[in-house]
Amino acid sequence: MVADYEPILSSRYGVPDAHRLAVAERNGAYATAKKALLTMRPDAIKEEVKKASLRGRGGAGFPAGIKWGFLNPKEGDDIYLVINGDESEPGTFKDRTLLNLDPHRLIEGALITCWAIGAHKAYIYIRGELAHSIAILDAALDEARAKGYVGARPFGKNYPIEIFSHPGAGAYICGEETALLNSLEGRRGEPRLKPPFPAIKGAFGMPTIVNNVETISAVPDIIRMGGETWCNLSRLAPRDGGVRLYGISGHVKKPGVYEAPVGITLRELIDDYGGGMLHDDRPLKAVIPGGSSTPVLRPDRMVEAEAEDHPLHEWHGKSEIDVPMGVDTFRALGTMLGTCCAIVMDSSVNMVDAARNLMRFYRHESCGQCTPCREGSGWLQNTLEEVCEGRGRPEDVALLVDIANNMMGNTICAFAEGTAMPMLGMIQQFHQEFVDAAAAGLPEGYRHDDSTRAGLAGDPADAVADGASTDDTSTDEVTA
Amino acid sequence: MPSFTLDGQQVPYEPGDTILRAAWRAGIEIPHYCWHPGLSVAANCRMCLVHIESGRQMAMPILRFDQAKQTYVPDTKPKLMPACQFPAGDDLVVSSTSEVVKTAQQHVQEWLLLNHPVDCPICDQAGECKLQDYWATHDQQMKRKRTEIVHKPKAVRFGPTIVYDAERCISCTRCVRVCDELVGDHVLDSRERGNRSEIFVAPGRELDHRYTLMTEHVCPVGALTSRDFRFKARVWFLKSANGICSGCAKGCNMHVDYDPRSREVERLRPRDNMDVNQFWMCDDGMMSYKAVREDRVLTGLVGRGEARERVAASAALAFAVERLSAVPADKVAFVLSATASTEENAALARLAEAMGSVHLYLAARPDWEGDDILRSADHNPNRAGANLAAGHALEESVEDLVSDLLAGAVGAVVAVGADSAEALEALAPMAALDASVVFASNHGVLSDAASVVVPIASWAESVGTYVNEQGRAQAYRRAVTPPGGVQEGWRAIADLAEALGHGLGVERTEELMPMPAANEAAAAAEVTA
Ligand SMILES: Cc1cc2nc3c(=O)[nH]c(=O)nc-3n(C[C@H](O)[C@H](O)[C@H](O)COP(=O)(O)O)c2cc1C
Ligand code: SF4
Ligand code: SF4
Ligand code: SF4
Ligand code: FES
Repeated sequence: MVADYEPILSSRYGVPDAHRLAVAERNGAYATAKKALLTMRPDAIKEEVKKASLRGRGGAGFPAGIKWGFLNPKEGDDIYLVINGDESEPGTFKDRTLLNLDPHRLIEGALITCWAIGAHKAYIYIRGELAHSIAILDAALDEARAKGYVGARPFGKNYPIEIFSHPGAGAYICGEETALLNSLEGRRGEPRLKPPFPAIKGAFGMPTIVNNVETISAVPDIIRMGGETWCNLSRLAPRDGGVRLYGISGHVKKPGVYEAPVGITLRELIDDYGGGMLHDDRPLKAVIPGGSSTPVLRPDRMVEAEAEDHPLHEWHGKSEIDVPMGVDTFRALGTMLGTCCAIVMDSSVNMVDAARNLMRFYRHESCGQCTPCREGSGWLQNTLEEVCEGRGRPEDVALLVDIANNMMGNTICAFAEGTAMPMLGMIQQFHQEFVDAAAAGLPEGYRHDDSTRAGLAGDPADAVADGASTDDTSTDEVTA
Repeated sequence: MPSFTLDGQQVPYEPGDTILRAAWRAGIEIPHYCWHPGLSVAANCRMCLVHIESGRQMAMPILRFDQAKQTYVPDTKPKLMPACQFPAGDDLVVSSTSEVVKTAQQHVQEWLLLNHPVDCPICDQAGECKLQDYWATHDQQMKRKRTEIVHKPKAVRFGPTIVYDAERCISCTRCVRVCDELVGDHVLDSRERGNRSEIFVAPGRELDHRYTLMTEHVCPVGALTSRDFRFKARVWFLKSANGICSGCAKGCNMHVDYDPRSREVERLRPRDNMDVNQFWMCDDGMMSYKAVREDRVLTGLVGRGEARERVAASAALAFAVERLSAVPADKVAFVLSATASTEENAALARLAEAMGSVHLYLAARPDWEGDDILRSADHNPNRAGANLAAGHALEESVEDLVSDLLAGAVGAVVAVGADSAEALEALAPMAALDASVVFASNHGVLSDAASVVVPIASWAESVGTYVNEQGRAQAYRRAVTPPGGVQEGWRAIADLAEALGHGLGVERTEELMPMPAANEAAAAAEVTA
């Protein structure tokens, strides 16, 4: 645990009723937006965000300040801000805490960002299943509108800003920014071809900035504290700045969402924040570091970075889970930080079964536009079902690799890579397990959690196979 | 012109071209499914992936089996680009045949057939299916998936003309785009996700616009079939002739597909012509081949109504000669036709001239509904050609002919083509004539009013030229031989002329094609079609 850490981003999570404007405002909300709109030039705001090294919190980790700089509107163009609250990546449940517990932080961030990038309209696109979050945000927006913070003259300034919430309709792919834009426009939610990128041609054909809920929610603190100060809160400053929300789920004692500086390690996250492994007799086997699309790491794998100039040289010989969690560090490790929400698996987990579970999801969620993803995701799942059910063949391991290798880089959007990467990662890290399962199916009694599963009504696998969605158990409990 | 290198060859390109379009223009095929030269880029099939040599490697690793370590190790590969989307540019060095590209192509091909029923023996697309072609050129392997395919709806009626088989569909969205972009009717879209995806018709709608058959035409596989053509012919038995649609004054270029064994025309398909119809035809045009089979005049006909008798074509011609000889030559009226070929019209115009008759009229079908896509409001393929044949714009219509008959200015009629705008009742004076001779391939009001009908070949059985509304003279070729005893129109007219003692002295159709003074160049270029 980071000693004496005072939460910033989640500072109001512990305040009762912080979703009410009056409560939030008593606890600091909107003061920064007021200052920014009334006293700061847009360029000055953009400069602070650049200095903050705010890496996008939606998964790809692109620096927000640089993204905002891509706007190059033509005469007569409207600029839009679109805020991505689709949060559907398995294992990811951090954005909803902001929506549920502190929606005014997001609204404040949206106001500042609109002013900074020259937008008069912002859309907050929220995963449809998060009906509770949508209701809370809508109520917060109503309050902000009633107060005049959102509307024709925010804080008295003659700069109209309207903010809308927009519910999705139950598709993971609508989190991909261009699919989101299609969905927002009332079209089928499937990714667009790029270029043009949204900053050039986004919502309704206009220049658009798409940022994650957490990214935008970080903006008020950056402006309040100054970009550099905020950046330096990170252990990986100056390249990867500030603080962020970490999610942790799986076999730990205290799954949840925690705020910490950028750059803590997975080991810290598991032991200090997650309360350690759930069962004392079941050690940590593997961690999916940042949402299901990121390749899995093993505590017993050591970083190989002997060369002096290797970005991970500092951690050479240490466990993979002792590398600080950052966008660039994890990329150098061959995985991704993604949404920074880790899925912890203990020794009871069979990796082939875990892969099958994941591939059921991806098969179900592929938008189906491009051949490699549409057919590849289905075939991966199909092959894994065969292997798990004991109908596998030795060559199936090579087949899984072959399918995934050829999905990589060959599609319209990153979904296919988000499918193939974890597949390849699991085989790379747990090759023998796949070889064994291909020869003889899953080992007897591999599911230590069978008793829990038996308690569930029906087999969730059937629900997926029937095309029905499984229940979404959102995690609202947060310890700041 | 700037150029880039594709597989070691220089390919010129125009500004705005993608690699695939430039290659297509140069006649080089980069394999593709979803791209169509007349539609927007969807880049979803991924068959056209190419390697841009100056491009980057993939950021995230793939895996390679390491024999020494007996396990998988990270590896990299180049980032491939869809040629249909990637802009052509100077200095680009592109490979569509390198090993990594071949691997990608092979996988896409295998994937497209992964959940495909492979029911080629009962599929109408077989023989002209990209799945078959590219399997042979880019895959050639047995399918590695062992389990049952994903089953989806089959034989779904999309509308009056089109049937859909979702299992054969490769989700390329060409059909969706043809409706959106050519017709402006968003009646089709995709639904469901992943390998359950399928195309569907907007709720409450049918696929019923004027260009529905173009969805089948662009479908690269057997997912969309035409209800008209389904189960009718195997395409490898068909041969094709260059035709010009007779539906309207647009003059869409087309392939006339026929079975040389039965000598039947089985279907029409658009023939690309950027200056006329681009890649398309309308449904009425596509169905116009039915006239080759239906409502044909196959024998000579003499007399009218109940008393009408079938006679040999030669007998009908003899009858015509006898009847016409009874009327002074300069009192014979000649009715040219906006639906007949320029050559047929020219033959008739020459006969009129030889007989010293100045009584020329033009029969035409009434206007139909045009649009700003292809269809001309003028339902006739060759109004301009008939005028050209006459040597002047024909001002007198069949209505005028009726007045002239009533006034006694003319006493006999010779017409080519049976179509006219008037109802039969309006043609009573013509129907009362002893000498009204109509050369016709199909029945129509004029042949109904005639005392003698001489059968002639249809457009599919002749060579000829139509001049469209743009003034383009466009030649069409013979697809099938005419029914026994039936001659091409111009020859039958020439025979009549000969028998009447006014021989035209024409040996070949081409001699009848008057070269248009005004648009000689266009005509000269097109006549060689
Ligand atoms: C399949 C897929 C799903 C995604 N889902 C989300 C999501 O739920 N929320 C999100 O913020 N970004 C998601 N992204 C990333 C977005 O495309 C985009 O990069 C992000 O919203 C940009 O915001 P940021 O720069 O603030 O991270 C997804 C990307 C892909 C390829
Ligand atoms: S990669 Fe998958 S999700 Fe993305 S566009 Fe292609 S089919 Fe759709
Ligand atoms: S029906 Fe044919 S054209 Fe339409 S998406 Fe399927 S394969 Fe493509
Ligand atoms: S537009 Fe006219 S010429 Fe073209 S296909 Fe239709 S009827 Fe024939
Ligand atoms: S032709 Fe389909 S992706 Fe290029």
